[in-house]
Amino acid sequence: MNTRLLMMMHVNVATVLNVGAVPHGIRRTAPLRGGTFEGPRLRGTILPASADWQLLRSDGVLEMDLRFTLQTDDGALISMSSFGLRHGPPDVIAALGRGETVDPSTYYFRTMPRFQTAHPVYSFLNRLIAVASGDRRPDGPIYTIHEVL
Amino acid sequence: MSLSINSRPLMILRLATSATHDIGSTPQGTLTIFPVTGGSFEGERLRGQVLAGGGDWVTAHESGTLTLDLRVTLETDDSELIHMTFTGVRDDANHYFRTVPRFETAAPKYAFLNRLLAIGTGDIRPDGPVHIIEEIL
Repeated sequence: MNTRLLMMMHVNVATVLNVGAVPHGIRRTAPLRGGTFEGPRLRGTILPASADWQLLRSDGVLEMDLRFTLQTDDGALISMSSFGLRHGPPDVIAALGRGETVDPSTYYFRTMPRFQTAHPVYSFLNRLIAVASGDRRPDGPIYTIHEVL
Repeated sequence: MSLSINSRPLMILRLATSATHDIGSTPQGTLTIFPVTGGSFEGERLRGQVLAGGGDWVTAHESGTLTLDLRVTLETDDSELIHMTFTGVRDDANHYFRTVPRFETAAPKYAFLNRLLAIGTGDIRPDGPVHIIEEIL
């Protein structure tokens, strides 16, 4: 599989909302305080009203449903939605839960971002599939987002 | 921080489809349903047949791209059932055909499928579509 870097994204998470036990698992929502993204072809900030809707499944896997609105430095709006999975050894996941910085190679944290935009400069985003590797930091994740070529 | 994303082969999926259901022009685009009548899948860790009864809901957009929305049931050679879905993008002008498969199974032997993300590369061949699916590591 060939990929190339699309952007690095730094996400700043606000206070997590614990929705609690729902029929599918344990649900919590992580609203974003903001963030930035930067890559060879686009850069800008993540707008409020972006969040990560998370579901902790009974098999211990965390499902993530990210809905972000991106604003490029030239004013274009891009809607990004992303499905992801995070899981790993119990001690590693516990360390993440305590807000510690953990080597991201010790757990699985991958997402599949999709983009929608009306802006012609960025319409290439409408036509591509991407894969992201996440690194959960105490103040929010860093995503390395690659375009699947 | 890992800057590269690695993958490894998961399976090659071959689908057999029957005559399409042409739903026509909808607010989202032109919807064509491809019923899946069978097929096969094969990889190092799993192999078997695609059961009849699935389909691929394909929407053609004004931009010229197609978006795919597939759901099928796989049956492994040891008789376990796997629910598989994918969404995808096909852009023939740019020779781009990629999908994002997901799997659900209750079989402990194949539970690894519940925990992985995957990428498929599609290819329309004379005898039907073929998807080369890789696990994202």
